[in-house]
Amino acid sequence: MNAMNASAISLSQHPDHHGHDSHDSHPHDTHGHGPVLQYQPGLPLTRGKLIMWLFLSTEIMFFAALLGAYVVLRFGASVWPKPHHVHLSEPIGAFNTFVLICSSVTIVLALEMARANKTTAAKLWMVATLLLGSLFLGVKGYEYAAKFEHGIYPWSPRSRVFEKPDLYYGSAVRARLGEPAMIDLLKELDDTPESQLTPEVVLARRRLAKVRQMVASPDQQPFDLAVVADQIMPLPVEHATAISHDGTDTPVGGHGGGHTSGLNDTFPWLKLPAVIPGGTMWASTYFLLTGFHAVHVMVGLIVFTILLLYKLGPKRAGMIENAGLYWHFVDLVWIFLFPLLYLF
Amino acid sequence: MATATSSSTLVTGAALTASPNRQAPKPRPVMEFLSTYVFSKDHKVIGLQFLFSTLLWFLIGGLLALAVRWQIAWPWSDVPVLGKLFAQQGGQMAPEFYTMLFTMHATVMIFLVIIPILAGAFGNFLIPLMIGADDMAFPTLNMLSYWFMWPAFFFFGASFFVEGGAASSGWTSYPPLSTNVAAAPGSGLGQTLWLLGLTMVGVSSMLGSVNYMTTIILMRAPGMTMFRLPMTIWAMFITAVLQAFALPVLTAAGFMQLADRTIGTGFFSPEGNMVNNAMASTGGGQPLLWQHLFWFYSHPAVYIMILPAMGMVSDIMTCFARKPLFGYRPMVYSIAGIAGLGFIVWGHHMFISGMNPALGMTFMVSTMMIALPSAVKTFNWLGTVWGGRIQFTTAMLFALSFVSMFIIGGLSGIFMAATPVDIFIHDTYFIVAHFHYVLFAGTAMGVWAAIYFWFPKMFGRTMNEFWGKAHFFLTFIFLNGTFFTMHILGAVGFPRRLADAYHYETFHHLQPLNAFMTWCAIGMVASQIIFAINFFWSMFFGPIAGRNPWRANGLEWTAPSPPGHGNFDFQPVVYRGPYEYSVPGADKDYLMQTDPPNAAAAALAAAAH
Amino acid sequence: MGSRWTGIFWSFVFLAVPVLGVATFAVAPAFDIWLPKDVSSDGATIDSLFMFILILTGVVFVITEGLLFWFLWKYDAAKATGPATYVHGNHTLEVVWAVIPAGVLLFLAIYQMNTWANVKMRRPAMSPTLEVVGRQFEWRLRYPGRDGTLGTPDDLFLVNDLHVPVDEDILIQLKSMDVLHSFFLPNLRVKQDAVPGMKIPVWFKATQTGQFDIVCAELCGWGHYKMAGQITIESRKDFNAWLESMYAKQEATQPEPAAVALAE
Ligand code: HEA
Ligand code: HEA
Ligand code: CUA
Ligand SMILES: [Cu+2]
Repeated sequence: MNAMNASAISLSQHPDHHGHDSHDSHPHDTHGHGPVLQYQPGLPLTRGKLIMWLFLSTEIMFFAALLGAYVVLRFGASVWPKPHHVHLSEPIGAFNTFVLICSSVTIVLALEMARANKTTAAKLWMVATLLLGSLFLGVKGYEYAAKFEHGIYPWSPRSRVFEKPDLYYGSAVRARLGEPAMIDLLKELDDTPESQLTPEVVLARRRLAKVRQMVASPDQQPFDLAVVADQIMPLPVEHATAISHDGTDTPVGGHGGGHTSGLNDTFPWLKLPAVIPGGTMWASTYFLLTGFHAVHVMVGLIVFTILLLYKLGPKRAGMIENAGLYWHFVDLVWIFLFPLLYLF
Repeated sequence: MATATSSSTLVTGAALTASPNRQAPKPRPVMEFLSTYVFSKDHKVIGLQFLFSTLLWFLIGGLLALAVRWQIAWPWSDVPVLGKLFAQQGGQMAPEFYTMLFTMHATVMIFLVIIPILAGAFGNFLIPLMIGADDMAFPTLNMLSYWFMWPAFFFFGASFFVEGGAASSGWTSYPPLSTNVAAAPGSGLGQTLWLLGLTMVGVSSMLGSVNYMTTIILMRAPGMTMFRLPMTIWAMFITAVLQAFALPVLTAAGFMQLADRTIGTGFFSPEGNMVNNAMASTGGGQPLLWQHLFWFYSHPAVYIMILPAMGMVSDIMTCFARKPLFGYRPMVYSIAGIAGLGFIVWGHHMFISGMNPALGMTFMVSTMMIALPSAVKTFNWLGTVWGGRIQFTTAMLFALSFVSMFIIGGLSGIFMAATPVDIFIHDTYFIVAHFHYVLFAGTAMGVWAAIYFWFPKMFGRTMNEFWGKAHFFLTFIFLNGTFFTMHILGAVGFPRRLADAYHYETFHHLQPLNAFMTWCAIGMVASQIIFAINFFWSMFFGPIAGRNPWRANGLEWTAPSPPGHGNFDFQPVVYRGPYEYSVPGADKDYLMQTDPPNAAAAALAAAAH
Repeated sequence: MGSRWTGIFWSFVFLAVPVLGVATFAVAPAFDIWLPKDVSSDGATIDSLFMFILILTGVVFVITEGLLFWFLWKYDAAKATGPATYVHGNHTLEVVWAVIPAGVLLFLAIYQMNTWANVKMRRPAMSPTLEVVGRQFEWRLRYPGRDGTLGTPDDLFLVNDLHVPVDEDILIQLKSMDVLHSFFLPNLRVKQDAVPGMKIPVWFKATQTGQFDIVCAELCGWGHYKMAGQITIESRKDFNAWLESMYAKQEATQPEPAAVALAE
């Protein structure tokens, strides 16, 4: 009895106070029995915000694990490709970083507007965020497509990346050149009169012929395959373990230092296997890290879309703030990923 | 039994006399049953859903263990009864089937029994009740955390029936065995399903843990400061923190392994790996990376699997010793210490894995240090029984046995922490003994203590004490018969995970001992029949318990049994810590957290703090 | 219920734990269920460390379990009179029982470091005696052959039949071809996982002649249980003779193709 009285007294001062500010937790029909309970003050955070922070800390651990794995794999690998070997473009990456940072600003503005009850402006900023996020994904998709175009997949059946120009590599090139469709295309190329081609293509055609001959030759030497690889997709010189020609004079033309584009670039339909030391593991980690980041971006976009269905006034400020927290986190992850993947 | 019956008539300070019998279970129509018990957002119902599901899986895990034991005792002989259930050809076990058995035994026990029964069943049921909240902070999330277990149940369950059978690379799932599809028969779909199941368990735990933390931080009754929380809540809280920080790492690693298996990345396969004369197509990865990621989660996870039991046992022991918990704050700090140190000892599972031996040395030191907070806990439990007035209820017996058995399991951990000794005993039955002592003899006994103790709150009725004690006695005897002997098996070097070790000269003479252990294991599982009957019978026909059958102090005992929606029919206000038993000058031997202070008690409380 | 016999009965159940526990360890050696015969130079230190920890933990075990029994016996509610002692803890005690185990454990940690360094870190300066390669489900062995260096065409290839000379430092280069294995010599107190992609050095010195088991101690697939080998420790003379005979045998037959692949 006494407990009741005591609590009744302490409660009577603010009988309507819920002790928490979010109402999402209780459908009213489910608790008709007891009184509305009052709680000991904990942290000065709403439930929604607290759980968001906690959720984000789990996310930090998730990405920490992925990044840790990346670091271990990268520094444990005997070779690791330079960004250019795998056709990463810093300007594109930097642009995407900029896009994400902008979107972090726009969501803050959306929140400000919502708090000030400027619902239309809030909506517009939200749309801007959504668009920027989509732009990021679009650019990411473009980058992925470029990788796929070069046969850089993290997995082998479709990947055209080889670790070294060994016999396996030679037979893969041979197999590709022997595909029926390829034979037709090559024939078509061979039959095109020189007059219809630019001088570069004529040169490239000659190099291709030489490559075909070398690959098909029965007494081929390992360094022949190195030359083949270099013709198909030359690696920029900065490569640590550059596949050298041993200064050998090769009939197909010296291009050791400067940069003629590879055969795969000149004839995009060729799609011959290429040699990128460490390329497969690079691709595995690249797609792992950016893939999970992209999934997080997508989740963010879904959340924004859902938010856009509501009137973005002060009542929704809490939700927008949580979505914003999440978005800043996604942004932050990218700020770690960008230098790690593109610059080092 | 004296305490249980007399107390239902006691009027506690907070109990309302309004509807004393409202709590008796009533039959309900089917539809209402569905909405109330199946798709409920009420934490109590969700807790019970977890409890029933995990008990069912416990049975399955136990049967799998029996099949394992049968093979070890009598290799290649027909497995009776179970053989028909599990094995494909007749009753005799195929060697690859044995590897699936222990893998799935451990998987079921760890991911579908111990973790969900502690956090899912008891965490859910107890947290809001013990802190004075009407429910979890996010009931829908809470419901989801249960429903995410179902895909896990499905994936793990289905893996037995797919081509090639269930996962068979141990619960630790070390690559390349687990990633290279050519490496093992069960490495077909089974291993992939295993990874998916693991991810689902992860999602469930994750949803649960952030919810628990939020609830405990923001929804304590007025006056319930952090240092007035019962140990159960502290343990649940810190367990949730551990989950939140360790589990994402396993999830990430699981995705990587999944990618290795399905799309052929090579995170965990080294260059030039040949299996079954077939060259792996991708490589460049590191097998040890998985072990690091796995144990970074799974070592903290072993504490996830024991801390809640430690908390519950502390509450039960104080109640039946009628004495305040000895060293409340040290107990809290030691839980936190175990959790913190738990993150820096994972390498002790990898002493001989090929990891840099210098690293092994640092992990050895940190592992030794983690015994410290455990020592503090053990001595404080002993301090709690010292000078008490001990009531030998079933719950108390199980709680005491938790302490007694945890000491054994903990001390065997010291052998393994000693790196040179671990060279010899790693991957032998010494390890198997160690973890069954902490997991089964420890945690599972703690869980039984909790079931007997909170059963009245769950169902409004008490379990039968006589049969409870019979259950305790038989389980206690048989479990020691099964698991204690494993230590000396381990001392011979008897390796774990071997379908048949007797062809080795060194282990040839150990078969009779193994047969003895298997008989004990059979006895242990059989004893559970008593428990199952007692459990279900008492649910419907046990004596009505009343609000506070054990005359305990916690907030949950002020609510009706079972509590209705919203839990409390009054506003609980907390005036003191949860362990004020036998306070001198008080009119009864316990002071509930809600009892308003009277002058004498207030003076004492002031003196004590 | 509640009779004084109940408490006595349960106290004794708990007393049975330390009594039977100690008894088990005491009688096990008599039944030969104990550390297998040790024939290595480092095994003795490992065994004595095991015994040291056994005694240390045994003492802790008996004390703690004994206290539990005593308290249960003494403070049974049916027997003891008056209310329970109302205490919330004791600061001094807390410090004592935190500091003493800390000291003991730290001592233990430091005490064993030297042994660990001996068996896993201070690798003898010599070229490998042989290479052991784990493979589902056998141990492939490669001796350097007549020229004394591994990786030359005259290497000697064998499966599961390991011979080493007694009283000499043996350095094994451990590899795996497919999945994890663990090279376990119970009688030499040697255990080391074989990891694909890594070359791990393992060293020991056998002190007695005889034949012993090689066990695979890391799950490596369905045939893990039968991945057994044998180590024969013999005098230098016998070893040389054996090596010669094996070598002659290999010369007579062509080396297996698989063995060639292994040579890279
Ligand atoms: C609930 C689960 C749980 C708990 C609590 C523990 C607790 C401990 N564990 Fe255990 N462990 C497992 C579950 C658990 N473990 C599992 C499942 C595995 C195997 C996984 C697998 O490979 O499949 C394992 C494996 C494992 C290994 C790897 C062995 C190997 O594979 O070679 C090691 C090595 O150091 C270890 C050590 C410890 C230590 C030092 C503790 C300490 O926390 C124990 C501390 C407690 C005490 C020491 C007792 C009380 C203290 C006193 C009475 C004070 C006085 C004591 C002294 C002065 C010594 N454990
Ligand atoms: C929580 C974890 C847990 C639990 C409880 C158990 C329980 C048991 N375990 Fe297991 N075990 C593991 C975790 C666990 N184990 C792990 C992690 C491994 C390592 C696997 C690996 O190497 O990868 C292992 C491996 C393992 C092995 C080694 C296999 C090998 O290496 O070759 C053995 C062998 O004896 C074994 C035996 C047993 C036995 C006899 C039990 C018995 O205690 C089982 C008793 C079962 C019951 C008592 C069931 C009770 C049922 C109920 C209570 C239900 C009542 C129903 C209702 C009310 C609805 N286990
Ligand atoms: Cu090889 Cu187990
Ligand atoms: Cu551990």
